[in-house]
Amino acid sequence: MSSSKGPEIGDPAPEIDLPVLDGGRVQLPPEPGRPVIVSFLRHAG
Amino acid sequence: MHDRKDRIAELGADVIFVACDEPSEIREKLVADVALAFPVAYDPERASYDAWGLERAPWWRIWLDPAVWLRYAKLLLSGERLRGGGADTLQLGGDFIVAEDGTIAYARPQRRDDRPPVGELLREVERLTTRE
Repeated sequence: MSSSKGPEIGDPAPEIDLPVLDGGRVQLPPEPGRPVIVSFLRHAG
Repeated sequence: MHDRKDRIAELGADVIFVACDEPSEIREKLVADVALAFPVAYDPERASYDAWGLERAPWWRIWLDPAVWLRYAKLLLSGERLRGGGADTLQLGGDFIVAEDGTIAYARPQRRDDRPPVGELLREVERLTTRE
């Protein structure tokens, strides 16, 4: 099991810059003024 | 989550899904026959999973699960070979909400099969978007 520690409430969100299934990329931080739900999926199995 | 697309749009929020599988696996196993309402990013190297502190399940939870053995038995019986390497079958997920200022407002890394209901995530977004 990983012992890495994730961000806690109030911490700056780690950056995300990843390719997207339908093309393009998705990035975080978000557009100013818009909250973002970030949902990491477990391995598809 | 896709069923709540309209409510999420009303709240002025965005949704990002991140998967740790290759695009072909995601299409086959996660989003087959689904009209994607939100972007699904892929990160087979799991760098973002590490950055967000997401854990891997202990091996015994996977390999002592009869459902896992049943799934592999079905694969073998259907003539498929077990695949080695590549994907990390132990990788867990997690749900977060990032506030408008870029800080974490909600964090729920997965410990086992315990994802929060979508309603809980929406309530948190409502709280963020309606506060003074």
